[in-house]
Amino acid sequence: MSEFCGCPGSRMLEFQQEDTPEGGAEVRIASQLRQWPIQLHLVSPEAPYFQGADVLLAADCAAFAMGNFHNEHLKGKGLAIACPKLDGGQEAYVAKIKALFEKARINTLTVLIMQVPCCHGLVALATEALRGSSRKVPVRCMVASLKGEVLQEDWL
Amino acid sequence: MERFLQSPIKDLIGRFPALGTILEDYAIGCVPCSVGTCLLRDIVEIHNLSPGDEEELMGRIAAVVAPGQAVAIPRSGRDRAAGASKVSYSPPMKMLVEEHRRILRFVALIPALTAGLDVESGEGRERILDAVDFIRSYADRFHHAKEEDLLFACFDEGLEILQVMLEDHRRGRVCVQGVLDALGRRDAGEVSRNFSEYGEILTEHIRKEDEILYPWMDRNLTTRQVGELFARFGAVDETFLEAGQRYEAFVAGLEARYLDAKAEVVR
Repeated sequence: MSEFCGCPGSRMLEFQQEDTPEGGAEVRIASQLRQWPIQLHLVSPEAPYFQGADVLLAADCAAFAMGNFHNEHLKGKGLAIACPKLDGGQEAYVAKIKALFEKARINTLTVLIMQVPCCHGLVALATEALRGSSRKVPVRCMVASLKGEVLQEDWL
Repeated sequence: MERFLQSPIKDLIGRFPALGTILEDYAIGCVPCSVGTCLLRDIVEIHNLSPGDEEELMGRIAAVVAPGQAVAIPRSGRDRAAGASKVSYSPPMKMLVEEHRRILRFVALIPALTAGLDVESGEGRERILDAVDFIRSYADRFHHAKEEDLLFACFDEGLEILQVMLEDHRRGRVCVQGVLDALGRRDAGEVSRNFSEYGEILTEHIRKEDEILYPWMDRNLTTRQVGELFARFGAVDETFLEAGQRYEAFVAGLEARYLDAKAEVVR
């Protein structure tokens, strides 16, 4: 039996750091962020950068876990971030995602979550919004490992 | 090896028949394909084998086409990380696969439809014309047009795999014209033969699309393209809504007529 029996999302882990050229401080990676704000409570579905856009709804932790988050996942997309475990007022999240489908008429929604069980709540919020939306949009779920690799991607 | 990778598969199987058996070991069904113009390189890439299987397959192919020679085996070069993770059909592909299900339900009824075919009475001829209308309006004008005008347009039109699919569409149309011509001559045997050939072409064609083409396309479409295709397919569905319901009723009616009658006989 494992020593740790609590929430996998809070389990303490330390990763061995490999010294790679890509990790060097001298490498500059340009930000692909093209908007502000980004927190889901703060973003407006009426913002011009969401209209007809491909939108990334990322778990708060994802950008820190994934070394090439900007180039591989954010590039060319509108962004909203949220934490389905810690954030309050999640009914508003469902309404806001639904407004992205219906009012902003977004092209696609990619929900990027971590592999920990609590993160799947973000997919559940998007699914609930899609179910209640009068306009259907392709929604894709991507699951990242704690070390930032894509473990799974599926269209809902 | 490079020369063989750039060769059409039918030519290669013709020269080296053992290749057909080797490909079948990896669930690559090129032997029964009626066209066979896909290049070996594209076939290896399109089937998305694991790196280990691909290396083994290429080694076995090399042993057949260049026995006893040391040959460099190139890799297909596709994104291994993406290929390794399981990706389900995207929503626009799901729409096409759903349409395939309806077409296959019709195809499954062709043997019953053509048994004791009546090309003389008005009622019998009407039944044949209704079936032709389903093929032409639903399978071809609605479904194949989505593929040809919207989906295939996302890819290089010169790709052999697309040419193979278009050739299947063309052969299907020839069969349907054959049904109408034979009906005009009141030739029940030819009507039946053309329907059956159409069913065989479509069954194999749909298998190729569901199992090989669509997964490959999904791996190569951008997220942007997936969303745009979904919206465009939705717009086509809107214009076809009433007809779609009519053709669903048509297939359900045939099933009730032929399958229920068959079940009655079994009871």
